[in-house]
Amino acid sequence: MDVSDSIVDHLRHVAALPNLAATRYELEMEIGRGGLGVVYGARDRQLGRRVALKILDSALAGEAQIIAQLEHPAIVPIYEAGALPDGRVFYAMKLVTGARLDHYLTGSPLLAERLRVFRRVGEALAFAHTRGVIHRDLKPQNVMVGEFGEVYVMDWGVDAVAGTPGFRAPDPQLDQRSDIYALGALLHFVLPASAPLAIKAIAGKAMQADPSARYSSAPALLADIDRFQEGLAVRAWSEPLWHRLRRFAVRNAVLLWLLTAYAGVKFLLFLLRNF
Amino acid sequence: MDNDTEIGGPRNRFPSTQLSLLEAAAADWPNEALERVMTLYWKPVYRFIRLKFGKNNEDAKDLTQSFFAAALQRDFFGRFDPVKASFRTYLRMAVERFAASQHAAANRRKRGGDVEFEPVQDQAATTESPEQIFEREWQRQLFSLALDDLHAHCEGCGKQLQFRIFEAYDLAGGDRPSYAVLAARHGVTETAVTNCLAWARGALRAFVTERLRGVTSGERELREEMRLVWM
Repeated sequence: MDVSDSIVDHLRHVAALPNLAATRYELEMEIGRGGLGVVYGARDRQLGRRVALKILDSALAGEAQIIAQLEHPAIVPIYEAGALPDGRVFYAMKLVTGARLDHYLTGSPLLAERLRVFRRVGEALAFAHTRGVIHRDLKPQNVMVGEFGEVYVMDWGVDAVAGTPGFRAPDPQLDQRSDIYALGALLHFVLPASAPLAIKAIAGKAMQADPSARYSSAPALLADIDRFQEGLAVRAWSEPLWHRLRRFAVRNAVLLWLLTAYAGVKFLLFLLRNF
Repeated sequence: MDNDTEIGGPRNRFPSTQLSLLEAAAADWPNEALERVMTLYWKPVYRFIRLKFGKNNEDAKDLTQSFFAAALQRDFFGRFDPVKASFRTYLRMAVERFAASQHAAANRRKRGGDVEFEPVQDQAATTESPEQIFEREWQRQLFSLALDDLHAHCEGCGKQLQFRIFEAYDLAGGDRPSYAVLAARHGVTETAVTNCLAWARGALRAFVTERLRGVTSGERELREEMRLVWM
């Protein structure tokens, strides 16, 4: 039976639609597609709410179990997992409405807001690492910013994933330090071109080719960001003297003004007494 | 057991798709394995040779036939290492090497390379490379064969209605009829139409999988190929 390319394209689409007849879900529309699965919007008939339904090859059934271990405010919760009649697996999860991080950044948010979002991502990663889970494919497309500012890290820990160019560490085998590299790449992506050198240096340290030269953990990276935001020296950068003096001046501006005023008054009194 | 879940019916209805390519080659080499490969790859190989080497229709057919005949004699499957490449890539590269050497030999015979190339209209009409056309033709052939399997299956197990509805909707070249029109045409409800479509699409997916299983080296490669087809 000969078929045209347009019919093949149509068949590829419709034959991939999941048969949800035996589930509580009703398919609505496709909302995302990646190398490992397709995400559909669906309606949960029992609870009358919309959910996101991810359909995966049966070889990736472990993904839902991995994510189910990760109960964290910045990780999308899994409601249910199951198998389809054709052997594929699905899991239902909270439907996050908002913008992908790369789209969110086109609104040019302030540096503080960018760092707030980044911090949520870092915290989620730090939590996952304590559970022995690595993300493997952290990138802006896998971070969602909700309409109320909530942040979600998606698409966790599938073995088949080899990372994305630009965010994948040059490590032969992916581990927690590889995630730190990706976190650094994400920070680099999040920062505007005008960002201070110190914060750029943090991204640079996290992205070192040598894993041992990177931050040892996500909390260590976040701690350096804390130092940056508090006006302290960051560990990623040995700053020049003029920069250190300027940072000291900014950080102690009130004290310096008071000292200057005090010195001025003393000098004035000295002049009045002697002339 | 509900027959609807036994896509393809009894296993012996699919003589060419139950074992992976290497299993079949090892157990029943060469006829069974090569037959599967030729069934799926003859057209892609023909098109690839035609476009890559600027061959006319007859020469491309001859070269394609020669390639598969040579494959029979040259331990073609034995040399395939699934760690290095997918079978599809291995086959395309083998075709390229074979056709290039044949092409060079033909040039030598003509003393000085006085070979006439016929303009290939297909190539002029597209910006796709021969490699891309090979991939596209492979996908089209894969679905054509799976549709034949589905059709035969429906005829064999009394599911002609399901196939007719599927054919009228999913294989429509132009505008697709509405579910209501299809329901009226076949004297069934709209729900029955959607059920028929869902069943046929699921069965088609299963037949595509079985066809792929027959020309891949094992589960891992099968998964990779399925990802390519469905994603």
